[in-house]
Formats: sequence, C-alpha cells, structure tokens
Amino acid sequence: MHRATRRFGSPRAYLRFLSVSFVVNIQSVLEYRANFLLQVFGMMLNNAAFALFWGMLIGKVGAVGGYGFDDVMLIWALVSTSFGLAHVVFGNVRSLGQIIQRGELDLYLLQPKDVMLNVLSSRTLVSAWGDFAYGFLVLALLPGFDPGRLALFCALAFTGALVFAATLAAAESLCFFIGDSSGIAGAVTEFLLSFSLYPETIFGQGMRWVFYTILPSGFIAFVPLSALNGLGWPAAGIAACAALAYSAASYGLFRLGLRRYESGNQMGSRV
Amino acid sequence: MSGRGLGTRPLPPACSRAAARGGIIAAAGLKARKYGVAGLVSARNRTAYMGSFLGDILSYSLFVFVFSRVWTAALADRIDIEGYSLSQLIWYFIAAEIPAFGFGRFFWTLAQDMKSGQVAYLASRPFSFVGYHFAQGMGKAAVDASVLAAVGAGLGLLLAGPLPISSPAHAAAALASILIAGSMQFLLQFAIAMTAFWIEDNSAFFWIYQKLVLIVGTLLPIEFLPEAARRIAAWTPFPSMSYAPARIVSSWPGGGAALSLIASQLAWLAAAVLLCQAAYRLGRSRLTVNGG
Amino acid sequence: MPAIVVDNLSKSFRTKVRPGGFASSLKSLVAPEYRSVEAVRDVGFEVNEGEIVAFLGPNGAGKSTTIKMLTGILRPSSGSASVLGLDPARRRTELARSIGAVFGQRSQLWFHLPPSDSFRLLGAVYEIEGRVLKARSAELVERFGIASYMDVPVRKLSLGERVRCEIAASLLHDPKVLFLDEPTIGLDLVVRREVRALLSDLASRDGATVFITSHDVGDIERVCKRAIIIHHGVVVVDESMKELRHRALSRKYIGVKYAKPVDLDLPGLPPVKRTETAASYVVDTRERRLEEVLRALVGRGELEDLTVEDESLEDIISRIYQSKPGGEL
Repeated sequence: MHRATRRFGSPRAYLRFLSVSFVVNIQSVLEYRANFLLQVFGMMLNNAAFALFWGMLIGKVGAVGGYGFDDVMLIWALVSTSFGLAHVVFGNVRSLGQIIQRGELDLYLLQPKDVMLNVLSSRTLVSAWGDFAYGFLVLALLPGFDPGRLALFCALAFTGALVFAATLAAAESLCFFIGDSSGIAGAVTEFLLSFSLYPETIFGQGMRWVFYTILPSGFIAFVPLSALNGLGWPAAGIAACAALAYSAASYGLFRLGLRRYESGNQMGSRV
Repeated sequence: MSGRGLGTRPLPPACSRAAARGGIIAAAGLKARKYGVAGLVSARNRTAYMGSFLGDILSYSLFVFVFSRVWTAALADRIDIEGYSLSQLIWYFIAAEIPAFGFGRFFWTLAQDMKSGQVAYLASRPFSFVGYHFAQGMGKAAVDASVLAAVGAGLGLLLAGPLPISSPAHAAAALASILIAGSMQFLLQFAIAMTAFWIEDNSAFFWIYQKLVLIVGTLLPIEFLPEAARRIAAWTPFPSMSYAPARIVSSWPGGGAALSLIASQLAWLAAAVLLCQAAYRLGRSRLTVNGG
Repeated sequence: MPAIVVDNLSKSFRTKVRPGGFASSLKSLVAPEYRSVEAVRDVGFEVNEGEIVAFLGPNGAGKSTTIKMLTGILRPSSGSASVLGLDPARRRTELARSIGAVFGQRSQLWFHLPPSDSFRLLGAVYEIEGRVLKARSAELVERFGIASYMDVPVRKLSLGERVRCEIAASLLHDPKVLFLDEPTIGLDLVVRREVRALLSDLASRDGATVFITSHDVGDIERVCKRAIIIHHGVVVVDESMKELRHRALSRKYIGVKYAKPVDLDLPGLPPVKRTETAASYVVDTRERRLEEVLRALVGRGELEDLTVEDESLEDIISRIYQSKPGGEL
C-alpha cells in the first residue's frame, strides 16, 4: 500500500480541495440562477443609488475629505470585490457562529483537513459573485485602466478579502467563548462595511486608529486606494502584511476556541 | 363581510349590534376601537422585542454619525450649501431617517403575510383589511420611531448643536409631517406588497422604491438635486416622504411654506390610500379567482 | 493486533447550574455554581482488527461521548484511548485519514448537492487519487444500489436513500476503522432492515474494524459478533454476541387475542396477564422452543391478534445488574 508514503496535507492537496469545492458549488449556484440574478440586481441598484449620491454631492461641493468622484468609486470597487471574494471562497464565514453553536463542527473534526479552512470553504454565497464582479466593472469604466492597474487591483482585492474574512471569522469565533455572538458579529460586519465605504479622511485622527486595529477598514479601503492612486506595489505590500497578520490572529483565536469546544464544556454540554 | 364561506350563521358583529342599539356614532366608536386595539396590542408586542431593536438603533446611530462626518467634510471650505448650514444638514439627516428607518420595513412582514396565506384568512374577517394592517403596522412603527427620534435627538445635540425646533407650532408641524410621511411609507409599501397577487417575487419592486426614497430627499435634500431631476421629483410622492418632515424639522421654511408642504403631503396621502384600496380590491378578486 | 485500545477512559462535563427564580439568577451572575456530570467512567476494552463490535446502551448512557473520544472530537478527562496506534485527541487529523464515520443524526453529505458531487469533494478531502476515486465510487455505487439517484440533490432523497449514500460515502477512502453512531435512528422498519443487510455485508467484505453504537439491540444482533453494553457511563457487559444472546436475549414476550374465550393455560407456561380472550406470556427460548409455543397458541382457537416482542435493552440491563456475577439470568 503506497498510501503511507504519500505526503498528506500538502498545499497542493488543499488547493485541490478548494478548487473542487469551488467548481461543485458553482454548479449548485447555477441551479438557483433566478435568485442570483435578483440579488445582483439588488446590489447594482444599491450601488447605483450611492454612486448617484456621491456624484451629486461632489458635483455641488467638489472633493469631500480630499476624495474626488473617481476615488469614491474606486473604494466601492475595492470593497465590493474584496467582500465578494471573501464570501465566494469562504462562504460559511457568516454562518460560523451558528455552526459552532449547533455542534455541527463535529463533522469537520472527523475529516483530515484543517477544521477552520474546511468549515469556511464548504459553501459559497450566491450573491457574493455579483459583488465580486462589480468591482472589476467599475475599474474598467474608470480612467487609467491598464493591465498593470488590473494586476494591482487583483492583488489588493485578494488582501482585502483576507482581512474581511479574518475579521468576520474572528467575530463569529466568539461563539466558542460567549455563546450567541451573532449580535456582535452583525455589528462588526456593518461597521466594517460602513467605515470602508466612506472617505477615511472625514473621520478625526482620534478615530482613525480604530481602522487599523479592531475594524481594519483602513487595510481594506484606504491603503489599497493609496496604492492605486500612485503609491503602487509597496503600499500593496503593506496591505499584504496586514492581511497575513489578521489571518494569523483569526486562526489563532479559532484554534483556542476549538480547544474549548473539544473539552465539551460549553454552555450546556451538547452530548 | 362576515360568515363568508362557512355555511353557519354567525352572530352579527358587535358593531352592527351597536348600530342597531344606539346609533351610528356608537358603531363608529366600536369600529375605531377595533383598529385601536389592534394597534395597541401590536405596540405592546414590539416593546417585548426591544433586544432586536437594539440592532436598529445601532445602525441608525452609525449612519447618523457617519453622515455627520460627511457633511462636516463637505462644508470644509464654505458656510452653507443651498442655504443649509452644517448643523441644519445633520438635523435634516436625523429627521429624514425617521420615516425611512422607523417606518421603512413594513414590506417584509406584509410580503410574509401574502406568502403564508394570512391574506386569505384575514380577508374573511369583519374589518377593513387595509385598515387592520395599517393599525397593526403603525402601532409597531410608532414605538420604533419614537425611540429613534429620542436617540436621534440625543445624537443631534452631541453632533449638531441645539435642537432646531423653535416653537410649539414648529413642533406640531414636525410631528404631523413625520406621521403623514410614515403613513405614506406604510401605504405605498402595502401597495407594492399587493403585487404578490400577480408576481411571485416582488422584492425587486420594493428595492427600487427603497432606493428612490433614499436618493430623493433622505440622503440629500431636494435642493441638492440637479435642476431637471428636481422638477421630475416634484411630480412624485417621494419629496413628501422624507424631504417634507426633514425640511420642517431642520430648517423651518416659515409658517406658510410649512403648511403648504404638509398640504401636499396630505394630498399624496389621499392618493396613496386610494391606490392601496384599489390594489387590494384588485388583488382580492384575483384571490377568489385562484382559490387562495 | 488491536485496532482500538481503551483504558480507564473517563469524561465529565462541567455545566452551570441553571438557577430558578430571580434571587438565584442574580447569585449565579456573581458566583456561578457548577455541577459535574460524569458521562463516562473508567471505561476499558480492546477491539482487534477486523472485529465487528456493537456498543450498546440506553439513551444518555455515554455511547456518543465515548465514540466522540475515540474519533478525537472530544478530549477525555482522564484515561487513555488509542485507535490504530494513535491518540485520537492529539493526532486527530492524522487518524482521520484512516477512519470513517457515519453519525445517524448528522450528514457528511452536502445537503444541496447530489451525492456524486459529495463523493468528488470527499475525494479531495481525503486526498484520494483521481483514478482510485473513480474506481472506488463505481464499486460502492453498485454495491449499495444508489446509481439511480447519484445525481439527485441529497435534500430531495428519502431517508433510506440518504443513509445508503451516507454509508457509501464513509467508505470512499477505504477506512481501517468505521464508526457508526446510531445509524438506524429515525428509520422505519423496512429501511432499517436494508441498512442491517448493508452493515452485515460490510462486515464480511471489507475486513475493516466496525464499531456500531445503538440503543436498539435488534439492529445489531445479526451484524455484530461482540457486544459491549454501557450504562450510566460504565461498561456493564463485554462478551460475544452469542453469549449475550444466550444469556440475556432469550426472552420473548408474546401477546395473543382470540375471538372467543379459550383455555389460556399452556403446560408449564402460565400467562403473566390475562383476560377472557387475551393473554401475554414470557417465553425463555433457552427452555422452550418459540415455534412450539406459537403452534400451541395458534391451535387453541381463532386468533385475532398475535405479537412477539424482544425484551428491551433497559430490561436486559436491569436484569444483568440483578443477576449473580457469572451466573445465569
């Protein structure tokens, strides 16, 4: 039996798992086409409304907080694609709390794959595909579109997605410790999105440190925007470091919670 | 109206008994009480769910805070925009969000009722379908809106300065305007929900409606819209739904102008009522055709 | 060569004492009281490779807890467990490659996807080589007879169809040990029989070690060779099925109802309950052939109803407790 000599748990194996998961989930999503299109429509509508808002406001008063119309559109593109990517690859990120509470983690514990990665990537969110695509659409419509810019945008979307996923997963992981944390998780999502979608400069210095710590909208919006607006790949490097840091922290928190789960001493044992 | 389809002869409803006994006024009083009770019960249920309401308050506060920063930045190098000072813009937003937020989510419960068949069930009850739902919905929303108004006032004092309400007349006009706006929200969302009789998934219509409410008068005062858009908007009910109350609260346009704003609100309200009744009647006939 | 070694395994849970009334609620906020629940106490046994073991016990006996400790889902409070030479708690991921599990109340199949997709995903999870996966899938599909609904979303399948797919999926990666936790729970009689047939087939063909928990003895009787009974967290019985059957499963409860009054006394077997036309008997099949008793009953008169039931596991266990050590029941 040559099975014993094969390397198990290699990055290639995880990649295979993710790509199969991907392909298989897309097929099931295509089944719900109508629903998907409806969601995309809703998303477009929402984004259009705010684009109109910013267009009219900036038209009246000029730049707001140093952000012109193109800047605002670029932020929306970055946030939209990052958010979309996070939920396309890690579709279970917002259900993590529920999964923990219902004891459904057991099934993932039985499988020879990293639990967190396994749980998060078991599902893909239909609507997230629309968000993901929207950013590229906007980028193409904005001036200065070229392959270099596209490549940078992709890299930034990737780091942004990691920051999003890591932060949301961490909020959901609180379920390990405090029971139902859905309120906190919901609030975190909302705050993160809200702060990301508005020019960071309108918030006072006293507040901005928050955007680089507990609600990392700075790494999702401002730093990537700076990268696209001239600072280039070095700024992307900063975003990448942040993405790694947040991912590591989130993973660590999850593992701590998992230990707790394994000891079974949750709010009422789920024997 | 009563005893439809059951074959048994029920007792005559209380209001017709009252009418038989003591006259029209008594009957009207009982009828009103029916709807009044519905509203009161609903309001009481709502207070029991204050926990989930906390989320709404949080969202509202966040929104108000963020927009106060947006306006501060927008007015970085000028005194006012279209006559609105910074303080007025913040108060405008606080007030505009009350009909949008506090009276803005009827559609989902109504749509649920449509889907679950509650409609068919309630259609055979001896009261006005629209009226009953109105009382129920508004009862809930009244509590929501009151709390939001209180929170909003607090936020406004913190972020924008003193309350812009200058006199009892001003306060009365503001209250009236908000209530009319809220009622319009209900009626229009009700009408959209009625489309469920013809179209399975009508949430897209509601989303479009929601965004229009947002753009035309909630996020921005009407005066900020480009000339052409402003003229078109004048022919829609949207200015009556957020602009009117927000304007009255934040930058008092004078007694006469306020009254004319409220008057146009009332006109649109009447139109909304008619639309609702018509939609319901059309829908109900379709219901009996399809068998529920 | 032991596949599973369990030694003095214990697990206790700490739960908060839920207060009743306002005053005690207040107190529990400041100084919470905890209660310790011993789910499993000093359990020990060994299972050799290729053995098929039934792990029985009434609800709440500690079966699920034990199996969770053996699969690494739960960490023991004390004692040790070793599956295929590995400590499940410490080397769970490594162990997971070689064990399979079917949990009666939870599904490993993706709910919205057809079983064929689940197989592909599991192939990636267990890193089964493409060709091997294909061959193994085909083999299992044929064996379990699930070809006709491999492409139907799992949510649309009946419970019986789902269980078949579930068990098939658990065998994809050719596990050396298969754990089944209440595989027949909630299934109706017909499906249950099918599943039992599948399980016996499993037992004879694959050479894997099979560990099944259940609170229904009938399920396991025909499939397993050995039974371990756990009660209140403690092992009460650990012997071959043959012995257990002989020792404790020999009682049958017979109920009869006749159209007209008949003589209900059988030679040496008085009814335990009787009316004019109905009676119930307890037959010890070691002393008396069931067939003879039934024949005698049928011959007495016109039968309206006849029921034959096994003894419940709870009753068996209580009798075991009451018996003299090593003696006959």
